Amino acid sequence: MHKAIPLSFVFALGLSGTVSQASAQDAVADTIVAMQTVTGHVFDAQQKDGMVGVTIHTPDNRHHQVTDENGAFTIQVPAGTSQLIFSFMGYRTETVSLTAGTTAIEVKMQEAGLKEGKELGTVEVTSRRKTTEIGLSGTMKVEKIGSGELMKAACCNLSESFETTPSVDVGFTDAVSGYKQIQMLGLAGAYTTFTRENIPDIRGLASITGLSFTPGTFVESMQLSKGTGSVVNGYEGTAGQINVEWIKPFEDKAPKWLINGYQSTQGRSEGNLVYNHNFNKHLSTSVLLHGRSDWMKVDMNNDGFLDNPRGNNFVGSNRWFYFGDRGLEIQGGIKVVNLNTIGGQTNYAEGTPQVAGNPWGYENKVNRLEGWAKIGKVFPEKPYKSMGLQLAATIHEQDNQYGARSYNGRQQSFYANYIYQTIINNTNHTVKGGASAQYDAYQETFTGTPLKRTEVVPGVFAEYAYKYLNKFNMVAGLRADYHNLFGAFLTPRLHLRYAPAENTAIRASVGRAQRTANFLTENMGLMASSRAFMINGNDISTLNNNTYPFKPEVAWNMGLNLTQKFRLNYRDGSFGVDYYFTDFTNQIVVDMEEYNKVNFYNLNGKSYSHSIHAQLDYELIRNLDVRLAYRFYDIKTQYNSGLKEKPLVAAKRAFANIGYRTRNDWKFDYTVQWIGTKRVPQRYNDHEQHVHGSDYSPSYWMMNAQINKSFKEGKYEVYLGMENIGNIMQHPLITDASNPFGNNFDASLVWGSGMGRNIYAGFRLNLK
Amino acid sequence: MRQSIIALTALFTIYSTPISSFAQESSKIKSETIKVKGVCSMCKKRIEDAAYIKGVKRADWDQKTQELKLVYNSDKTDLKTIEQSIARKGHDAGAILADKDQYKKLPSCCAYNDGAECAH
Repeated sequence: MHKAIPLSFVFALGLSGTVSQASAQDAVADTIVAMQTVTGHVFDAQQKDGMVGVTIHTPDNRHHQVTDENGAFTIQVPAGTSQLIFSFMGYRTETVSLTAGTTAIEVKMQEAGLKEGKELGTVEVTSRRKTTEIGLSGTMKVEKIGSGELMKAACCNLSESFETTPSVDVGFTDAVSGYKQIQMLGLAGAYTTFTRENIPDIRGLASITGLSFTPGTFVESMQLSKGTGSVVNGYEGTAGQINVEWIKPFEDKAPKWLINGYQSTQGRSEGNLVYNHNFNKHLSTSVLLHGRSDWMKVDMNNDGFLDNPRGNNFVGSNRWFYFGDRGLEIQGGIKVVNLNTIGGQTNYAEGTPQVAGNPWGYENKVNRLEGWAKIGKVFPEKPYKSMGLQLAATIHEQDNQYGARSYNGRQQSFYANYIYQTIINNTNHTVKGGASAQYDAYQETFTGTPLKRTEVVPGVFAEYAYKYLNKFNMVAGLRADYHNLFGAFLTPRLHLRYAPAENTAIRASVGRAQRTANFLTENMGLMASSRAFMINGNDISTLNNNTYPFKPEVAWNMGLNLTQKFRLNYRDGSFGVDYYFTDFTNQIVVDMEEYNKVNFYNLNGKSYSHSIHAQLDYELIRNLDVRLAYRFYDIKTQYNSGLKEKPLVAAKRAFANIGYRTRNDWKFDYTVQWIGTKRVPQRYNDHEQHVHGSDYSPSYWMMNAQINKSFKEGKYEVYLGMENIGNIMQHPLITDASNPFGNNFDASLVWGSGMGRNIYAGFRLNLK
Repeated sequence: MRQSIIALTALFTIYSTPISSFAQESSKIKSETIKVKGVCSMCKKRIEDAAYIKGVKRADWDQKTQELKLVYNSDKTDLKTIEQSIARKGHDAGAILADKDQYKKLPSCCAYNDGAECAH
């Protein structure tokens, strides 16, 4: 925490500030034992006037205050505090020594000279961030996944970067597409809100494919929070929120050039290039490029199907940042994605007619264009006040071919969100308010059946944050939205945090979430089977394309968690346990229990998820970090055939990670996981009769390891790793793989790894 | 559910007891704070790596206060030895000035005597 803060951070927080980037340390408040009160005045050295909005804090950053309109302040600090630091945008930071018995002080602030422009930026930001932190930080439990953690999985995109995060489960969507999907609280990735710097990113038709389109090299850090998030970011996000921060060109730590290359034994080659340029202290830009090629035919389980499709993927982005002198901040960017892959049976060639006797093929094409902008204003004389506008537009097109089945989709989306933030009397009371609009137009075609839908959702929101002495925080939010298809609805959300002792935080949250399920795209994996797609028991081809056949998905999520930091044998550690309960009022049930069918219908009865997660992080000896985690789910849904456990989700999972760094910059990392049994949907034989005795998949172990070596203070880095060390694969991965056009073919019942042992190597160059 | 609440309460009680009392168990264990000059997170790593010599239990350098908090076993080492180890890597530590040749070898962003500032 003791570092200068990137400008963008202010920007992101000033604009929305919902995912607090607090490290665990901030999240745990200190006990206030013996306090002393210091009062005083802050003056402008030249003009002799009192200065409003000057930030005052203790050197350890734990106690903050802001001067009032006369420049006066009163701050409570622990007895024995030796210094107070005064900072204000455009002025030099002043450090004032306190001697025993000091109660009243006067501080004169000097305006910073022009040549100190760089320092000015740093000062401004430091103060800004703290004011924001006071109001929001820590009220929600946030797991910050920094670049160090991302490096543990040197490969490659967002879905794969969660391999070392026990809160997230990563699994293959099916046996042919190679796509991985994530789950939080045992709920599919579509129930998690993905944001890029607090603007909604992966939504709608991209809910599965979109994770592949954020290369790990672009990412600076991620923040993950479970349960419903802030109302400022919308009404979705049933299971949680994952915010991704990209590399910022204006940050001192950002290299001029970042070049990364990767090669695996499974025929995957990747190259990434990031170029950062600062024109002056106001204007900077980044160019980010990613290319991936899967060029080898890999069939490690010998079922005649490629484990991963072959093809190419390109992602390119350009971002611009402008920081004005008087608190104006503008940024914008575009991103393009192009993907073209072919898979299926090993001898399939593009365009082969999909009839019995020919090889079964899989094809996937994606074209996506995104543009976004943020305009923010902080008021230099009132650093607690800010406003911002977020804008985003997306065009997404995808064509999929699963054997004789085709699925094409096109989405056009537009998003706008205006946020105003200020305080009531003092920084103990912060309020945010604003309005948003979301527009989504979908055109899908599923083997000849068109589906069309346009959603327009304007809404307003307000959020109040209260804090009492670092001991208690509350964030209460409410939003009202009007959906053109489903009418008006309210979204209340509440977050509480209480710190009963030093290094302890207890948090609770409750909130409502609503979303419109894109039931086809979210279940694309099921298309890799002979199952007929049914809507409310009727074949999908009978669907009238002008009406969305379901109600929106509505759920309430409640969470309770404890974070405890400790020091044992001079080393730091933390322990956390959390419990989340998600209760669906309505859900689109995906019923795979009937013979050769998947039936979608509105929930009629109960659907819920209980999730308990315990985690211990401890530095066993210096530079040897150990992480142990265990989680348990109880997820059940009412199907037509009864209340059943959610299929293909492991109720139990255990996780251990050991990381060691040597003084000469070798890093060793080892992860082992135990994945418990998963319920497999009801199975049938050729005569449509139930097959008994195989209702659960076996449990299995997964191990990954990686070695890193960096040179020249991190300028060059090489890595070598192995995934799935035990070479453990699901057998058979595909049901009736020898007869892909028959009635028993199913490549969607994936409970284990679809790929065997993989060895990879790569390098990173950080050139200044 | 009940078991997990009990477990939670139990854990909470265990971890709430002050663990800092470990440091006072033995008079051989000393805690001291010294000034060490540095700039950024690269400096932090270098300073702390240098401070962890035999007998040092803990070393925490704070970039903002330029203070290094040390916990060490006074039977095995002393403050001067630790300061010398840091000074040898190019950082002024307590009463001991940095090795001049090593200081010149530091990356430019760590050159604390030449106005370096980096926001790592």
